[in-house]
Amino acid sequence: MRSRIADVVNTDATLISRKAWSDPHVYALEKKGIFGKSWLFLAHESQIPNPGDFVQAYMCETPILVARGKAGGIHANINSCVHRGLPVCRADHGNAKSFVCPYHSWNYSVEGKLQAIPQERHVEGKVDKSKLGLKAVPRVESWNGMIFGSFDPEIEPLDQYLGDQRWYLDAFFERFENGIEFVGSPQRWVLNANWKLPMENQLGDVNHGPFLHAAVIPPEANAEVFDLGFSCVTEPGHGATFRLMPEDAPLESVAWGFEGMASLLSPDVHEYLREIQMRAEERVGPIRARMKGLTYGVYPNLSFLWSNTAFKVSHPRGPGKVEYWSWSVVPADAPDEFKRILRGNHTAFFGPGGLLEQEDSEAWTQQFLGSNIDFADDRPYFYGLGLGEEKPHDDLPGLVSVTANEFYARNFFLRWRDALMAVEER
Amino acid sequence: MSEDYQTTLELQHEIEQWYYREARLLDGREYKKWLELCAPEIRYIVPGRGNPLVDNARRGEEDMISVERELEGRDSDGLPIRDESLPYLMLRVERAYKPNSWSENPPARTRRIVGNIEVMGVEGPAISVTSAFHLHWARPGSATCFYAGQRRDVLQRAEETVPGDLKLTRREVVLDLANIEVPTLGLFL
Repeated sequence: MRSRIADVVNTDATLISRKAWSDPHVYALEKKGIFGKSWLFLAHESQIPNPGDFVQAYMCETPILVARGKAGGIHANINSCVHRGLPVCRADHGNAKSFVCPYHSWNYSVEGKLQAIPQERHVEGKVDKSKLGLKAVPRVESWNGMIFGSFDPEIEPLDQYLGDQRWYLDAFFERFENGIEFVGSPQRWVLNANWKLPMENQLGDVNHGPFLHAAVIPPEANAEVFDLGFSCVTEPGHGATFRLMPEDAPLESVAWGFEGMASLLSPDVHEYLREIQMRAEERVGPIRARMKGLTYGVYPNLSFLWSNTAFKVSHPRGPGKVEYWSWSVVPADAPDEFKRILRGNHTAFFGPGGLLEQEDSEAWTQQFLGSNIDFADDRPYFYGLGLGEEKPHDDLPGLVSVTANEFYARNFFLRWRDALMAVEER
Repeated sequence: MSEDYQTTLELQHEIEQWYYREARLLDGREYKKWLELCAPEIRYIVPGRGNPLVDNARRGEEDMISVERELEGRDSDGLPIRDESLPYLMLRVERAYKPNSWSENPPARTRRIVGNIEVMGVEGPAISVTSAFHLHWARPGSATCFYAGQRRDVLQRAEETVPGDLKLTRREVVLDLANIEVPTLGLFL
């Protein structure tokens, strides 16, 4: 029997059915109501600086080619030939003059236009190639170098969609005079989990830290999260968590990267990060200069792990499988050796070999098993911690609360509920 | 170091014994003893392995499909799976003996066969060795997995040393996985 969405999430999202994670029908609605109607992160402009540069991406399960065109514009097309459907590019990234389907060598420009059909000269009728390009993603926009695409031609502009979440994201981006850079290709790995739990984990759930990660995170680091931590929701589905350090806190306790091993291991990197923090107030203002970031989420499936500087996307592969992508982020103007050391803050702790993330992966796969067991449908998952305790804040946009308040997840599921009910057959 | 370095029976034997001992320690979960095989300056790298665009200009050449082209993040040139120094490895060993390292509670049962051990060259105290491994990984409640790869190591001999007393100063693990579908790459390969 199909789940009714009104029964999967209750009206204040304090109870979430196990079916939200495991029912194939729910997943089909997610594809339509969420992945067909949201802005989805594709790539960062630093990955494709030159004409002809391209990277692969996904929008849900749909493979996308993101390329820099000859005139410098950014083009996102579905990687599937209009003749027989094969991918026209198999490489993860590179620089191409054109994309050629292996089956009959139909040839496309990097912008996605069909340029040549080799068989055409052997037949009499001519084909109107202008109507047969790769299927373009109807909306592509960038913000701060972050490229997003949407399958919904009517979607609101990206700036508006991100809204006040930009204020929180800029607290990181704007610290760096010459911006940030994505280091090479993302790590990609497959987990037997539902795509929403990795997302929820970064959206605001920093409170699993002291428990799931007790083997690695020291108690004093956790105390800081409890005492100084904030969870903020500017729009349902987005979320930001950070510590707001006291005004008299020593610079070393505030600066990004000082928690990681990178600055402990290299005095030069330490000094470099210190200088960035010394300029923080003039660049991002007094409040945001004191923000010591934890994790963020951007609806529906993009996360930012400020503490270890990674952007992550949770690509669904069905209700019980996720292809997780994780990019390392470094200041664009850092010397190469610093970039190498800084990326270690990400790769040692997160990604498929990460000291911390291997515990998360375990939790996410075990949760999916729990979501599939029988005779427990009358025990939906409890999402009620801190109900109604979030409030506006003088200095911080959105609704704000302590990190233990699960309102970030309730808000995500209320937006999720609306999005799925809008496409559900009655 | 040349491709056709001629090893000696004694050196080959010493190196092979080192690898067999290392495999026994790792599969026996004796990570603290394994850590003693690592030099303080060790660099432990697992490069990413991508699918680069084939360069038409290289057609007909072995270089067109070389393994090297697929490796990412060996230096500052992209993102590796791992790039770690001794403190990171120490943290991993410390974690292994804590009850709340949940992804290894219960721990995986591993067995690795290390073969094709080839001394690629000797430069002063540094011995370059290439080897291959097959690793069987089985953890209660999880899928059973198979890992394969190549190690590119540098072993260093101390100035005054007893036979077999070699320290690992560099390890680069070339993983032969197409898609990463194994539950973890956090193990010592």
